[in-house]
Amino acid sequence: MTPDYSTISPFLVSSKSKWSRSLGYIGLCLGVILLLCSVQMYMNVQQFIGGKEIKKSGYDFVSVSKLITDQNMGKDNRFTAAEIHEIQTQPFITDAAPLISNEFRAQISAGNIIPFSTDLFLEAIQDDFIDSVPPSFHWKPGESHVPVILSADYLEMYNIFAPSQDLPQLSESSIGKVQLQLDCSGMYGSGRYTAGIVGLSSRISTILVPQSFLEWANQMYGGKKTEHAARVYLKTENISNPELVKFLQEKGYFVNKERTRSARIKVILQSFVSGLGIFSVIVILLSMMLFAFYLQLMIARSKDNLKLLQTLGYSPAWLSKMMAKRWIPVYTVIIIVALGMTMVFQYAFSLAFSYKETLSAFIAWPVIAIAGILLLLCIWINSRLISRELNRL
Amino acid sequence: MHSPSIQLEYLIPEYLEKEKLERSQVWNTRLSIRKGERLQIVAPSGSGKTSLVHMVYGLRNDFSGEVLCDGKSLKTFTTDDLAAWKKNRISVVFQDLRLFPDQSAERNIEVKRVLQPYHTVSKVTEMAKRLGVFEKLRQHAQTCSYGEQQRIAIIRALQQPFDFLLLDEPFSHLDDRNAENAWALIEEECTARGATIIMIDLQEIPFYSAQRTLHL
Repeated sequence: MTPDYSTISPFLVSSKSKWSRSLGYIGLCLGVILLLCSVQMYMNVQQFIGGKEIKKSGYDFVSVSKLITDQNMGKDNRFTAAEIHEIQTQPFITDAAPLISNEFRAQISAGNIIPFSTDLFLEAIQDDFIDSVPPSFHWKPGESHVPVILSADYLEMYNIFAPSQDLPQLSESSIGKVQLQLDCSGMYGSGRYTAGIVGLSSRISTILVPQSFLEWANQMYGGKKTEHAARVYLKTENISNPELVKFLQEKGYFVNKERTRSARIKVILQSFVSGLGIFSVIVILLSMMLFAFYLQLMIARSKDNLKLLQTLGYSPAWLSKMMAKRWIPVYTVIIIVALGMTMVFQYAFSLAFSYKETLSAFIAWPVIAIAGILLLLCIWINSRLISRELNRL
Repeated sequence: MHSPSIQLEYLIPEYLEKEKLERSQVWNTRLSIRKGERLQIVAPSGSGKTSLVHMVYGLRNDFSGEVLCDGKSLKTFTTDDLAAWKKNRISVVFQDLRLFPDQSAERNIEVKRVLQPYHTVSKVTEMAKRLGVFEKLRQHAQTCSYGEQQRIAIIRALQQPFDFLLLDEPFSHLDDRNAENAWALIEEECTARGATIIMIDLQEIPFYSAQRTLHL
């Protein structure tokens, strides 16, 4: 028989009232549940409001325009090349591109199939700012067909008012089949082109044509080189970056409200979840302190016995190892229970929100990793504490 | 390989009066204790008997000079080295016995035995029967008489391997018959191990045939 914990356990005088130990168990378990749930919630919020569309490829894309006030009304409120350059060079902005618009009159009609004709504005932007660029979205001088990317919101709007105007409603797949006629006219001439919708954009709310076409047509019909833009698109890692918000405010630039609102909600939710995380860390620390008091009390009560065991030849290192090992199953059970509770919580949460988003019913791997780290941390702190107390004897 | 030895190099306890130091054959001298030796150290009360036991066993460091174990100073031992020294090389019967008062006699012996088992549990029973404390094994140590506790402490000291056995007034509460009985067991055990006995007492023990007797 080799000595183990059972050899020394009769010599350890535990606290007569077990309440401090039980309170420590419950507190630690609650703290860990709170911490794991907050991490999981943080990731859920990221998935919900991070938005697949805005944050594709890890960046936020937003359009900014100048705020129209009573003071600047009537002036040219477009961005100059210098202003665009200034935006591009800000450290918190990854890239910026002007959304150039037509400097000539553009009219579109759907021919005989859909009796529909309207004046419209055309805009163009660098291809890499468009969420999905179909291979056919290009134009060269001399070509009579102009590909168009339409805002998905516009199609939705069209489908709302189409029935009242006796126009057919169109699905996303059928819209590409509609042949449109684009008439461009200006001081320097006019031209007729066929146009077709090759894609829908949920990021940019406008009618997009290839940049090569718009620059050419502005020169051709408007007689102007494209220099100014009413809107600039920003590519940034974080739309809620305070420095970015401050910069835009100082310059009097106006950001699409929907995007900033969702970013603000995201920040509020994440702050709430982070606050919960901090609170849970405090609960864990308090529970660990309760454990520490319990251990100190036990070692103080068993001081004479522990000293005598050392006198008989038990090494302090062996004694502290045995005592620390005793707590490993306790901590393991606490962490596993907390992990299980977090799993149940996430499963219920995913069911409750299943109509809105596909949320995983399982907890994310970082939550499991944090649980593992917490377990190791508890075991480490515990063994350090025991060893320190025993060396003090 | 060197034969195991303990050397006392000019040991002086911090508190000891000068005149006691001058008369002593142990303090402030070089003393070599060889493996297998039967040594007797005789001293009146207050001359530092128990201090000497504690110094050699490695319980205190408040003295000048050195206790060398196989040439290495005990003062340089780490806590693990000291634990190994007490577990494998040296055993002791303290004057104050140092039993766990609220544990059974059996558990008091067992906690030492399992640390580095030299004997089986049945051997413990046999020893307890031989020393007349078998009936007391299940009794709390504090409820045993001092003489019974002394015999339990002797049995506990014999449960491990050792090269040196320190005995600090081991028979102080035993009648002659029980003392001789206990001594016979101790001598048997030490002979089997080839171990040294360092007997420290107030006066010479008549049945202990020491090879050397020193006055502290």
